[in-house]
Amino acid sequence: MTEEKVYTSHLGQIGDFLIKFFSYVIMTVFALLTIYPLIWLMINSLKPTPEFQISKLSFPASPTFANYTGAWKIGDFDKLIGNSLIYTIGTTIGVIFLSVLAGFAFAKIKRKATKPLYASFIIGLTLTTQSLMIPLFLEANLLHIYNTRFAVLLIYIGSGLPMGLYLCTEFIKSVPDSLVESSRIDGAGYFRIFLSIILPMTVPVITVLAILNITATWNEFALINILVSKTELKSLPLGINKFSGTLSSDYGKQFAALTVGMLPMLVFYLIFRKQITKGVAAGAVKG
Amino acid sequence: MARKRPLGTEEGRAYWTMVLPAFVIYMVVMAFPILLSIVLSVSNYNGGKMFGGEQWTVIGFQPYARLGIDPAFWMALRNNLFIVFISVFGQIPLGFILAYLISRRLVKFPDFWQTVIYIPNIISVVVVGILWQTIFSPYGPLSEIFNKLYQANFHSHLAAIFQSFGQFDIKNVPDSLAQKIVNLAGPTAASNFSNPVADLKDLMQSYDANQSGMLVNDLTNLLAPKWSMDFLNHRETAMLPVLFVILWMYTGLYLIMFLANLEKIDVQIIEAARIDGASEGQVMRHIILPSLSGVIVNLAILAISGSLNSFALIYAMTGGGPARITEVLSIYMYDKAFMNGAFDYPLANAVAMVMVVISFILIGITKAFEKKFGGKE
Repeated sequence: MTEEKVYTSHLGQIGDFLIKFFSYVIMTVFALLTIYPLIWLMINSLKPTPEFQISKLSFPASPTFANYTGAWKIGDFDKLIGNSLIYTIGTTIGVIFLSVLAGFAFAKIKRKATKPLYASFIIGLTLTTQSLMIPLFLEANLLHIYNTRFAVLLIYIGSGLPMGLYLCTEFIKSVPDSLVESSRIDGAGYFRIFLSIILPMTVPVITVLAILNITATWNEFALINILVSKTELKSLPLGINKFSGTLSSDYGKQFAALTVGMLPMLVFYLIFRKQITKGVAAGAVKG
Repeated sequence: MARKRPLGTEEGRAYWTMVLPAFVIYMVVMAFPILLSIVLSVSNYNGGKMFGGEQWTVIGFQPYARLGIDPAFWMALRNNLFIVFISVFGQIPLGFILAYLISRRLVKFPDFWQTVIYIPNIISVVVVGILWQTIFSPYGPLSEIFNKLYQANFHSHLAAIFQSFGQFDIKNVPDSLAQKIVNLAGPTAASNFSNPVADLKDLMQSYDANQSGMLVNDLTNLLAPKWSMDFLNHRETAMLPVLFVILWMYTGLYLIMFLANLEKIDVQIIEAARIDGASEGQVMRHIILPSLSGVIVNLAILAISGSLNSFALIYAMTGGGPARITEVLSIYMYDKAFMNGAFDYPLANAVAMVMVVISFILIGITKAFEKKFGGKE
C-alpha cells in the first residue's frame, strides 16, 4: 500500500488512477490475445466440420466428441502418446543423471582435463542441434540407427547435455569443499559421496533440469522428424503435423488433434507452473 | 575447487567414469556432426553410402558459391533476419514492459497475468503453427470477422443511399441511384457485372416495391467487399503473420525472465530514490536498467540463437510457402536435403555452416555492445 502511494504521489489521484487503468488495459489486451485463440480452438473442436464452415465464431449447437474419436484413430494417438512418454522420460533421466555425475567431477575433482572439457560443453550452449539436423540424419544412417528409439534418445540426451552440465557444475561448485573432503578422509569413495551427499543436495537443480527437459522433449519436432519414419516410433508432434497437410480441410478433426496435442502440457503447466517459471528463468543463462 | 591431491588412480578412475559417458555422447551428437557438416559442405557427396559406396571427394567452396547466386537463399536469409529483428526489438521490449507493470505492482494478481501470458510457450510449436495457419487462412475465423465487419459497414451505407432517395420506382431505378451503389461497391461491382449501372438496374427490377429490405440485404451479400488474404502471397508482407505469431508465442518467455530479475532489485532502493525526488524515468534509467544490462544481453543472445534456428513453427505454419516466400534458412536447408529428391547435401551443409557462423557473429556483436555500453553500475 505505502509503496504504491510513494510511487505515484506527485501525479495526484487522477494520474494514479490513469496509470493503473492503462496498466490493466495493456495486461488485459495481452492476456486475451494470448488465451482467446486457444479457447476458440477448444470450443470449435466440439463442432462438426460443416457447422464450423458456416459459423466460425459461435458456440457449437450440440457439442460432440466425434472429432476426437476420429482424430484419435487417424493420428494413432495412443501409440504416439506412449512414444512421447518414452522419449520424454528417457531423455530427462538421461540428461539429469549424466549431468549431475559429470558436473560433480568437474566441480569437485581437480584435474587438468576439466578446463578444456568444460569449455567444449559451454560452446555447445550457443549451438542448437536443430541446425545440425542434416549431418545428424546422415550420421544416423552411417551408424545404422536411423528409425530406432536409440537414435532419438541419444540425440535428445546429447542436445540437453550442455545446459545440464552447465547448471550442475555451477551449482555443485557452491557446495562446500569441506563436505566432500571430510568424507574422503573418512574413506568414502567418490561414488559413495556422489550418492549420499551430492545427489540429495542437487535436488533444486535437478528440478530445473527436469522441467526444462520434459517441456522441450515432449514438444520437440525438428529432429525426430528426420530421425524416424515408422509410425511405431513417432512422437505426438509428428502425429499432430499430419493434420496440417492433406487433412487440413477437415477442421473438426484438426482442432481435436491440436487440442490433444496441447492439453497434456497445459495440464502439466497448470500443476507445476511455479516450478516451470522458476526453472525457465534459471535456464536463461546462456552465453 | 578441491585442493590438489597426488594423482591417485582411484581419483582418476572415478573422474573419467563420471565424465566420459556425457562427453562421448556430446561428441557424437554435437562435435562429430559439426565436423561432418564442414567436410560435406566442401564436397560433392550426394547421398548413398558414405564409405565404400560411390566415390566422393572434397571439391572446395563451390557449394558456397552456388548458395551465393541462389535468390531463394537470400530470401531465406532476409526472412531469418526479420525474425531475429522482431525477437530482439519486439519480444524483449514487450516482455520488459509487461514485467515492469507486474513487478511495480501496477496491476493486482501478478501470478495470474504471468501464468496466462506464458501459456503459448509450453504448447508444441506444431500445434501453434497449425492453429495460426487455420486462423489466417481464407476459410478461417479472421476472414469471417472481417467480412462481417465489411458487410455491416456496407449495409449501413447502402441503407443510407436508399434513404436519401426516398420514394422511387423500383421498376425504373434512377441512373444516379444505381451509379451511387456501383461507386460504393467499387471493385466487387466491376467483377459481378459487365455493365454495372445497367445490370444493377435490371437486377433491382426483379424485386417488388415492398421488398426493399430484402433488396438491401441481397445487394449487401452480393456487393460488399470481401476481406482479402492477398498479403499472404506478396513477398513484402507474407512474413507478417509469421512474425506476429512469433511475438504472440514468445513474449511471455521474456516476461518471465525479466520478472525474475526485476524481483531481485531491492524495492527499498527504489523507494528511497523516489522519496528523494527521483522521477520514475530517473529510477528506470539509473537503477532498473543498469541492474538489468547483463540480463538484457543474455536474453538478446537467447533470442538471436533461438530465432536463427526457428524451424518447426514455420514448417507447420506455412511450410515456407507460398512459392517459398516465407522460407527461412533452416527450411531452405531442409528442402535442399530432403525434398523433391534433391539430396543436395553439400549445399544443405553449407547452409548449416552459414547459420552457425551468423549466430556466432551476432552473438559477438551483442557481447561487444555489452562491453562498450553495459556494466556501468
